[in-house]
Amino acid sequence: MPNEPSAERGPWSLALRRFFRNRLAVAFLGVFVLIVLFVLAAPLWAEHVAETGPNEEHIVEQITVDGEKLDVVSVEGKPIGPQWFAADGKFFLGADGRLGRDEMVRLMYGGRISLLVAISAALISTMLAVVLGLLAGYFRGWTDTVIARVLDAIWSLPVFLIALSIGVALATGGFKLGPLELSGGSLIIPIGIISIFTVPYIARPIRGQVLALSEKEFVEAAVAQGAGPLRVMFGEILPNLASTVIVFFTLMIANAMIFEAGLSFLGAGVQPPNSSWGAMITTGVELLKVQPLLAILPGAMIMLTVLSLNIIGDALRDALDPRGKQRLDAALQFEAQAGATGTQGGAALS
Amino acid sequence: MKKLGSLIAVLVLAAVAAIGLASCGGGDDETSGGGQGKQGGILKGTYASFPDYMDPALSYTAEGWTAMADIYVPLLTYKHASGDEGSEVIPGLAEDLPEIGKDEKTYTLKLRPGLKYSDGTPVKASDFRFAVERMIQLNSGGSPFYIAAIEGAEKFAETKKGPIPGIKTNDKTGEIVISLEKPRGTFTNELGLMFVAPLPQDTPIEDMSANPPPATGPYVITKSQPGKGWEYERNPYWAKANGKAMPDLPDGSVDGAKITVVRNEQSQVDDVENGTYQWMQNPPPASRYAEVKENFEGTQFRVEPTISTYFFWMNNQQPPFDDLKVRQAVNYAVDDRALERIYAGQLTGSQQILPPGMPGHEEFELYPYDLAKAKQMIKEANPSDMDITVWTDTESPNNEAGEYFNEVLKELGFNTNLKILNADNYFTVIGNQSTPDLDAGWANWFQDYPHPNDFFQPLLAGESILPTNNGNFANFDDPAVNKKISELGEEQLGPEEEAAYAELDEEIMKQAPWAPYGNRNLTTFVSDEIEFDNVIFNPTFGHYLSSFEFK
Repeated sequence: MPNEPSAERGPWSLALRRFFRNRLAVAFLGVFVLIVLFVLAAPLWAEHVAETGPNEEHIVEQITVDGEKLDVVSVEGKPIGPQWFAADGKFFLGADGRLGRDEMVRLMYGGRISLLVAISAALISTMLAVVLGLLAGYFRGWTDTVIARVLDAIWSLPVFLIALSIGVALATGGFKLGPLELSGGSLIIPIGIISIFTVPYIARPIRGQVLALSEKEFVEAAVAQGAGPLRVMFGEILPNLASTVIVFFTLMIANAMIFEAGLSFLGAGVQPPNSSWGAMITTGVELLKVQPLLAILPGAMIMLTVLSLNIIGDALRDALDPRGKQRLDAALQFEAQAGATGTQGGAALS
Repeated sequence: MKKLGSLIAVLVLAAVAAIGLASCGGGDDETSGGGQGKQGGILKGTYASFPDYMDPALSYTAEGWTAMADIYVPLLTYKHASGDEGSEVIPGLAEDLPEIGKDEKTYTLKLRPGLKYSDGTPVKASDFRFAVERMIQLNSGGSPFYIAAIEGAEKFAETKKGPIPGIKTNDKTGEIVISLEKPRGTFTNELGLMFVAPLPQDTPIEDMSANPPPATGPYVITKSQPGKGWEYERNPYWAKANGKAMPDLPDGSVDGAKITVVRNEQSQVDDVENGTYQWMQNPPPASRYAEVKENFEGTQFRVEPTISTYFFWMNNQQPPFDDLKVRQAVNYAVDDRALERIYAGQLTGSQQILPPGMPGHEEFELYPYDLAKAKQMIKEANPSDMDITVWTDTESPNNEAGEYFNEVLKELGFNTNLKILNADNYFTVIGNQSTPDLDAGWANWFQDYPHPNDFFQPLLAGESILPTNNGNFANFDDPAVNKKISELGEEQLGPEEEAAYAELDEEIMKQAPWAPYGNRNLTTFVSDEIEFDNVIFNPTFGHYLSSFEFK
């Protein structure tokens, strides 16, 4: 009897299978999922366990622990330490400082804000980078020159310092442009700043890949069949960039999270009384000698999240396109040799 | 063996001699008294923020006055002493305290002869009138004291065209005659403030913070980098001229100082502990206060009681705080026990304008904490504008006090937007009427001189509402109160006047322009290289540079 031919698997299915073979990536995917669940559970914990909101102050209040009344904040200004479940979950990780806010609740809500800012910024910068990369790589010529120069200009700036200066100015005065008005505490401000300043990190490699792909036969064939530039860019070239875009998006979330943490730590990102993990480190550093957990915990959350995303991103790259790294390197090389004017040249990609 | 023994003896003696010479050091050793006893050395100090201005006509903060106290000497000055003794007015550039005419409206002083600025320019009597006019032209926060008092000053303030007829000077004799519109019981004190310290008449009529004017005191500011720090050296004309003319003012032991702005207060404490800096001007942050007090009290650390009031101001001229009920509700909602904890025990709760220690202070409590009552009052008032911007600065624990106030207002149902400004320019920004959304915020006030008028006129009199450098943040302007402030200001302080001021305190607080919350202690904290007991903390000027000595 002849053997049954094996069922054909699609590329996405194969990629998924390759990903799940990577045990480290799977483990850190689990960590990331747990972090997301942790922050999503914030309202549940706040309402049913801690019975307080993230910004609610309990400065002069007392809680009962083993029949003993304890000040949330002592007269000398010392906040209560971690109570774990001794007070039925209230002040599980203690109070966040002299304002007597529940540290656990703030850690959870802070995580929501950190992830929201990071994911939003990564999404916006990826979308902008893809559009700019496609335009520059496909049209070449003056389009490529202008876009590439703008990206170079942003990349040549001391990005963090500029972002910090803008962040501080906008955090105080807010932003007003015509009908658009944002208060200083609006999250749109740090999201916007991080998005704009991280575009070049993705746009340049994508531009390189587009330059290479636009010389492929399938693009020539589409053009010969009468497809317009938009159809070619978004219908033919973009699907071939999917794996690159997905990987970059994942890595950019991690990058954006670090960026946001830095801005908030320096007072230019998320504004009080709201918390993000970066802003919580600022408060925690002041009490490092008294309550070290207040700085260590948000820092550890940032570290775990960023590490998870980096490992997942690397694994995704390997899974989606095993030769993707080589392609990417080649694309970057092609881009460098083609130069800013996008002229023909460079090694052809296999 | 004998030769070897001799050789060893010589080598040992040489080594001992070398060690001995090395330990003597030089006269300009940066970190010690130079091996020559207490004189000399360069003091390294730190502030958490740069002063509002490094210009004697403009500065109206504790940081600025501490920075310039030993630099600019007015006609009169304050005794270089701590506590109540430090509030005594003594002659400065003037030979003596003023001769006050029988009508109590004429003040005659005489400039000491032979005085010079640090650039060698002779000090002239007419420099005093120039300084007063310059201060008024710059719209200084201190100008209300003098505009209200001096004949013709009000017209000068409107037209900016001088000279002020109420100040007559004679450069040949050094005589200065000041005519007042009406008697003023506080004028002698006000002549001792730096606002009217004489300056050379070529001093530009602009903020000179980046290039401070020449000095008359024992030290001169030789370098000023706003936002970063500044440096002092000895005024070369102090030893040659001014110091001899003013023996009551100390020469100072250190040869100079280098002050750096270090915004991280934790670092400041660590740096003083390890000797990187010898002094920090501001108190340790609340999180380190107890630790520093426990480890260093009596040897390097001292609590300094102050005559001060910390408060939340509300803009009385804009909704929702133009409604008395709303303002009173806020007073009921502020819990001074919470603020005592925020200030880590450095603050004593109070709801009054006049602090303990100020003549006229009598305790009362109009608004005992009652959040439920506060919410009810807001409901009844039903303010039309529920969107409020709350202002505070970055220095701990003032930033937390501002966050606390922000949450209190939220509890009362307001939609708040918290703005936290750099401490360097906080008061400049909230004192500028063109800054949008000046609804409510944090502020404090320390005694300029030991007279209750100092807490009423600059902060709560209608005439003190200025377009820039405004100190009446509440924009409180009640004609009856203005009249009372003015009338009481004419009198010399006695028991009747003190009782009247106590009444005024309560009367104003019934209108609740502010929500005062307490009176604060400051500190002296120095490294172990400094002669701790010699450091003077003056109730008006804080630490005197001239009182620092290396051990």
